[in-house]
Amino acid sequence: MKKTGRSEWLATMLFMTAVTAVCIGAVAGLHLATANVVAANESLFLRKAVRAAAGLPATGASELNRWWAGDVEREVLQSGRVAYRVRGGTGGSAAVVLEAEAAGLWGRVRGLVGFSGDGKTLTGVAFTEQNETPGLGARIEEAWFVGQFRGKTGPFSLVPEGTGSAAPTEIDAITGATITSSAVRDLVNGAIPDIRGGE
Amino acid sequence: MKTGKIVLRNLGRDNPVFAQILGICSTLAVTNVLKNTAVMCLGLIFTLALSNVTVSAMRRLIPGRVRMMVEVLVIASYVIVVDIALRAFVPDIARQLGPYVGLIITNCIVMGRAEAFALTNPPGAALADGVSSGVGYSYVLLVIAFFRELLGSGTIWGVRVLGDGWVNWSIMVTAPGAFFMLAVFIWIVKGVWLDSAPADAGKAGAR
Repeated sequence: MKKTGRSEWLATMLFMTAVTAVCIGAVAGLHLATANVVAANESLFLRKAVRAAAGLPATGASELNRWWAGDVEREVLQSGRVAYRVRGGTGGSAAVVLEAEAAGLWGRVRGLVGFSGDGKTLTGVAFTEQNETPGLGARIEEAWFVGQFRGKTGPFSLVPEGTGSAAPTEIDAITGATITSSAVRDLVNGAIPDIRGGE
Repeated sequence: MKTGKIVLRNLGRDNPVFAQILGICSTLAVTNVLKNTAVMCLGLIFTLALSNVTVSAMRRLIPGRVRMMVEVLVIASYVIVVDIALRAFVPDIARQLGPYVGLIITNCIVMGRAEAFALTNPPGAALADGVSSGVGYSYVLLVIAFFRELLGSGTIWGVRVLGDGWVNWSIMVTAPGAFFMLAVFIWIVKGVWLDSAPADAGKAGAR
């Protein structure tokens, strides 16, 4: 193998620098071009989740944004927890939606827990972040699972999947995902004192 | 080598997954739900095709000493493009795939094709090689995902197909299930087909 001359080193360095600049430039340009769309997707996702937790039916994007601007107010409770107060109006009664989180099997599970205006019953639960096993823990996002909190009072304990418990303090766990189910139970139970303790 | 022959080899005898045993990490990670698998496969085909063409187009310019750095840079750029595109246009799927899209960078098939094929062949052949390697990878993953989702969740593409009497095989949706399914797949393919096909391995070696 021939010895590398100084000019060859220089050419190699220049080539590498040029390729790096082009690649980074292209990626950065694309990132900037789509940053607004990505941010809009994120906020739309949160709004949808708050609406679901408040027990209201899903709507299209423009209707959702109008509802968010008119009927929802964000505040931080004394405990530091973020809450969304949903005004009762046409097509729904008042609700308070709290952010909550717990440790799942693979990572943090974050969600929203909705309470009726009087704080007595839950209006719904929605998840905003979870990295649980697809097919097992990730099934917490399925409609039957999040739907079973509605109208119940809590604090909750788990019963085996398929029980279909109607008791106000019981929810069906997911078979094969005990740790995730427990995390969701803790997540929901942890939000309850913020509603009933202080008010 | 003719384009048709490249394509056939990548789909069959030289298949990246069951013949070269490459890209196994993602084969194990994303195949428990069919929908995620399909998105992962499309992302890989896109990355593989474009990185192959790009590396091939630059092959006379790339200094030998830094060729791997250039390849990684090109591959990483395309993967970030896929990641950004998913987050901007199909946010729900991007959320489900989570970190897996970024892991296309570490898929040995992409680097392997750039290094073994694109560096020594013109862009047209490199494109055919990239796409066919990607498709060869994809159909293996889709078959595995089909059976894992069916046995593990009783569903196909999220639609319930097995009756309520079906008890889910939880092991199929966790990582060990992927090992079993992949092993069975390779066992069947090698036993039934590869061993009985006329051997031209000698020719390939002499070339």
